[in-house]
Order: sequence, then structure tokens, then C-alpha cells
Amino acid sequence: MSPRRSPSRGVARAHRLFAAPAVLALVVLGAYPLVFVVLAAFSESKLGAPFRDWVGTANFEKLLADGDATASFLRVVVYALAVAAVSVVIGVAVALALHRSVRSGALVRTLLLLPMITPPVVVAILWKLVYNPAGGLLNTLAGLFGYRGEPISVLAQPAWAMTGVAIADVWEWTPIITLLVFAALLGQDPELREAAALDGAHGWRLFRSITLPAVAGTIAAAFLVRLVLAFKVFDLVFVLTTGGPGTSTTVPAFLVWQQAIQQFDLGIAATTTLLLAVVVTVVTLPVVALTRRFHRDATA
Amino acid sequence: MPSTTRGRRATRALVPAAAALTASALALAGCAAAETPAGDESLTVLFISSHEGAANWFVEHYEEETGVTINPVIVPYDQIGSQLALDQSSGANTIDVAAPWYVSLGDLAAQGAIQDLTEWIDGNDALDVDDFIPSIYEPYSLYEGRRYGVPFDGDTHVLFYNTEILERNGFTAPPTTWDEYLQQVTTITANEGADGVYGAAVFGQKSPLILGASFANRLAGFGGEFLDADGNPVINSPEAVAAAQALVDINGVALPTPAETEFGAGNTAWLAGKVGFIENWTDLGVRSEDPTSGSEVAGKWGVTLLPVGGSNTTPRASLVAGFSWVIAANTQKTELARDFVEYAASSEVNAALLTASPPTGIDPNRVSSLEDSTYGSDFPEIQEVNRATLTGALAWPTGEHATELAQILTDELAKLLAGEGGTAQETLDRVQAEWEAILAG
Repeated sequence: MSPRRSPSRGVARAHRLFAAPAVLALVVLGAYPLVFVVLAAFSESKLGAPFRDWVGTANFEKLLADGDATASFLRVVVYALAVAAVSVVIGVAVALALHRSVRSGALVRTLLLLPMITPPVVVAILWKLVYNPAGGLLNTLAGLFGYRGEPISVLAQPAWAMTGVAIADVWEWTPIITLLVFAALLGQDPELREAAALDGAHGWRLFRSITLPAVAGTIAAAFLVRLVLAFKVFDLVFVLTTGGPGTSTTVPAFLVWQQAIQQFDLGIAATTTLLLAVVVTVVTLPVVALTRRFHRDATA
Repeated sequence: MPSTTRGRRATRALVPAAAALTASALALAGCAAAETPAGDESLTVLFISSHEGAANWFVEHYEEETGVTINPVIVPYDQIGSQLALDQSSGANTIDVAAPWYVSLGDLAAQGAIQDLTEWIDGNDALDVDDFIPSIYEPYSLYEGRRYGVPFDGDTHVLFYNTEILERNGFTAPPTTWDEYLQQVTTITANEGADGVYGAAVFGQKSPLILGASFANRLAGFGGEFLDADGNPVINSPEAVAAAQALVDINGVALPTPAETEFGAGNTAWLAGKVGFIENWTDLGVRSEDPTSGSEVAGKWGVTLLPVGGSNTTPRASLVAGFSWVIAANTQKTELARDFVEYAASSEVNAALLTASPPTGIDPNRVSSLEDSTYGSDFPEIQEVNRATLTGALAWPTGEHATELAQILTDELAKLLAGEGGTAQETLDRVQAEWEAILAG
């Protein structure tokens, strides 16, 4: 052994030692689940007995031939885009209003955190009580305003049930947009705003020309986060509608639960998961590109 | 050597090392979980939340009588099968005994999650299997000619009615046909709906144990079957179509709305005296009389057999839920588990659970417990309607894929009620086609 090489071996060992946790984390948290899902998708797998038989693309063919399943993918795309867009509009509006009125906003920030730190199941139960046709808040308020017709059943109407879920979802997660945009507004250079104001820019013009370009990257990033959160919606659907009425609120995440936990069919559940991942990637790629562009523009 | 190459080599060396480390850790964890401390006189038993009262009863009485501790694990009613399957397949093996829905027996057996109990049952006279109600014993235990379960909770649906509400609306007797039922429900809702009182609570939430149960009740009443004697689907028979149509007909006049009505919402409305009828398990009668249940209908209710329909004139019990004792495949305490199942499935225990307070949610599974004198004196009406199980009952399919069959039927019925599925005939034709494809393998 060359005495000259000992230190470098020691360094290499140290490198390995320091890298080990990261490699372990990657293997356990990333690679293992991914490999498991891919293998399950191409096999006949039951919850208690995975990988019973190699079935090739049979699970994909079965899933894509199921009209209810394919409709659930389309449904969640529309749902996620709509919910993310509404959340961003409301979130930005609230952040701007807060920025104008309370610059420090410590109390407001804490209050805004409340819906987000409430467990989603509790949020769903809360909204179920609001929508309850037999004495819920919505019907009580409608009664106070003179409504005397049939009880309003938001979650029992196929045309409205998804909107009912979306409202609860927007209520729960819009504060994250508000907080991110509010933080970005606080980080703005005040001198730039003052200079623009001195030059006669006010109101919409000031927002469009000065404020928006400065926080556009943050808004785009917040939209991306919100979009992914909306794609994953499960708790609200599970508690509020169990995917009904009919299939009107059945989204892929709920379908996966039904396939794996109710029907023990891990193979089909894995296939649904993979297809959902593809759909989410396709939908979010343009948003990722947009986010990068805004950030580039903001730092240019 | 350039540092990048060294780094690559280091990474190459590290990946297998990390994988080996992970595998070793998992293997050690698995070994640790599988080991049983010597002299451990305890059993971990998986229950559904509706059986929490029974779980508490076992915790108290079984240790008192045998010295063996029961550690109950309570899970939602629709997750007990998956919880057991995952526990066994993951190698955690924390569960010794479970009481899953009898419909999942075939799936659990096919996945190797539960033990084949045939030899033990056949060689154990103390189990007294001849005393089990035959229409319950077969579906609650059998899969491909072998016994995997022992009946625990009989769970047949009957029709409860609020005597005050019926009287207020001019009805002197409960309905005997599904047509009469629809007429009475429609009348009550028309008369009292504005005051928050409705003709019936109809379980219609999209779950096999909820919406599926409401359909099964009507299928039994119209004289239909899920499968014929050879195991072929007959789910689009005229009787089944009539049953689905009866659900559609009641949808608009029941407690708003059936699609949102699960056990909690339906039972709450019943106990608050807000509905004229509810199809439910016979143990609801015990809860209706129990002051701790917050019941406002004590002494104001009656119970009758499920109505009939079409050309069928003989009421028939519907085994919509029902739970069996099973022993986990990988338990290290098989003997202890068998002792517990023998005790828990005994006539004395079943009879005690029927009338226990607080209520345990258990229905009769044996002829002797059904005819128990305390049960008869405390709940004579419930005992009478439960006797319907003695002359045959409608059971769900129970083989492998049975849970998938139940889910497919439920999903299609939910679409029918939501106006998405076309007619009842079209809906059940789709179910028939899917069932045929699945059962054909």
C-alpha cells in the first residue's frame, strides 16, 4: 500500500459515508416504490399476493377499455386546472389586499394557516355539514333568505357535486397561494414601486407593469404546487361523496383506493397510478416551463 | 485517478452496499415482528368499527375467563379485508384473528391471508357446527369446498318502522310489499317533508355494504338471486331489474338524499324520529331501546320482515353484511387463536352479545342463540323477524373476485340512481356482462 494514497482513500471512504444516507433515501423513497408500481402494473397482483403472474399490457388494455376509468382522468384534469386557477386568482387577490392593509401580517399569516393545518378529513366533514340537505348551513342560510323549495343537495346532484368538492378544496388550499404571493410582495423593492408611482403609475397599471412581473414567477410556482395538490385529491372525495353520485366525482386517486383496498387488485391500481403520473406530467410540463421563464425574466 | 471517476466508482460500490444494508434491515425487522415472546398470552384481533362494542365485551370477558388478553384493533368496516391482507403480505404479521365481511373470504383465502380451518372445524365437536343457522354457515365459511371462516355476526336486514309516524299518516300496519312501502313513504314525505320528517332513510351511498345492501334487500324481496345454482350470474333477471327499479322509485321521496345516506346519517335520522322506515340490521332494535344511544324512538317502533315484490309472496332474509371469524395465515399463535374463535363463536357468547348493554352490534348466527330465552323476552319482535334466516336467505357471491363483483354492481347502481346509467335493465345488463367476464376468468 502506498503511503501517499492513504489520505485519498480515507477521503473516498468519507465521501461514501456522507453519500450513504442520500443514496439510501433515494432507494427507499424513490426507486423502490417506482419499481414496485411498474412491476405491479405489468403483473397480476393482489394486495396480499403481489406479482402472481406476468400479464404484459393486459392491465393497461383493461383500464383504457373502461369508460368510467378514462372519464375519471379527464375529470381530474378539468378539476385540477379549474381549482388551481380559481385558487390562484383568489389567493393573489387576497395577498394584494393584505399587502395594502397589513404589511407585517403576522396575525393574518397565522389565521391563513388554519385551513391548511386542519386535517383534510376534518375539512371534508366540516363541508359535509355545510352541504347537508337536512339542516346544513347552506340550507339554513337559504331558508333565512326566504328559500322554501326542496332541500338543496349539492353533493347529490351529478352536475354540482364536483363543484361542491372543488369549493372545499379551494377553501383548504388557497391560503398557501396567498402566503407565497404575500411573501413575494413583501420582498419587492419598494423604491421601484415609489418611482413608478412618481411617474404616474397607479392601480391596475402599477400592478400590471411593476408588481405582476416581480411576483409572476412566484405565482406560476404556486399555481404548479396547487395543480399537483388538486390532482391528488382523495380525502375530500372519499368523505364527501365516495366518488358519487354515479361517477360524477370519481377521480383517479379514489379509483386507486377502490381498486387496491376494496377489490384487492393491486395490478390495476398500479396501472391507474402510472397513467395518472403520465397525465400529471403532461399537464404540468407547460406550467414548469412557464415558471422557469417567469423566474428568468424576473432575474434578467 | 480523477476525482469524478473515483466518485463514480464509489457510487457503484455504494449502491449494492446500501441495497444490502436495506435488505438486511428489512429482514431483521421482519424476523423481529414474526417472533413471539415465550408465554405471551395475548391475541391481536381485528374488528370493524361497528363491532367496537363487541370488541370491548371480549376484552373484558375473555381475559376474565381464560387469562388471555385481547388487543383489539378497530378499523372502518370497508377496510378490514385490506388491512388483514396487507398485514400478512407485508410480513408485519401483527394480526392473529380477524372478523372480515364474509364476501371477502374467497379473496382473502386466494391471497393466502387466512388459514384453511377445514380439518380443525371437522375435528372439533365443541364448535357444534350443526347449530349454526344453515343459510348463514355455508356462505360465512366456505370457499371452494374448504372452510376458512366461522360465523360471528349474522347480520340480516329487516324493516324498522316508526309507529307514531305511521299512525300520524293514517297507516295501521307496515307494508308487506315494496309497492305498499313506496306508497307509504311517498305519503309520509308529502305530508311531513316540510317539517323535516321523511318516509324513509334509504342507504344509497356508493359502497357495497350500503347501496349494495339496499339493492340486495329488494332482490331478496322480489325472489331474485345473484348467481344461479351453477354459479353463473343472473343479475339481469326480471326480479333483479324490478329490485333496481324499486330503488330508483324510492330515490326521490326518501330522506335527502340517498346518495349521501350512509350508516351514520341514516341511523341518526331514525334514532331522532325523523324517518318512518329504515332497513337495518336487527341490532338496531337493541340500540333503539338503549338510553345511551340517544334514541328518541324508544317504545315507538316496530319491526317486520322485508317486503316482497313481483310474483314472490314469501319474505326472505337478506345477508347484506355478515362477518366471520378467520385466523391470520402467518400468526404464531394458531392454537390460542383457535381457542378464541371456538369461544367467540359459541352459542353462549352469541346469545350474550345479542342482549348486551351497551349494544354490541351482533345478530344471531346460531339456532340456539336465536331461540335464547333472554333474547326472546327482551326483544320478541326482533327474534321473530330473525327467524326468517331459518328458511333460507339471500347471500352475496363469496368466491375469489367476490368483492370486485360487489363493487361493480354498486358502481353501476350508483350511476343508475344518478341518472347516468340508462334504464334498470340496461344497467344490470352491463353488470351481467362484466360479471360473466370476470367469472369466466
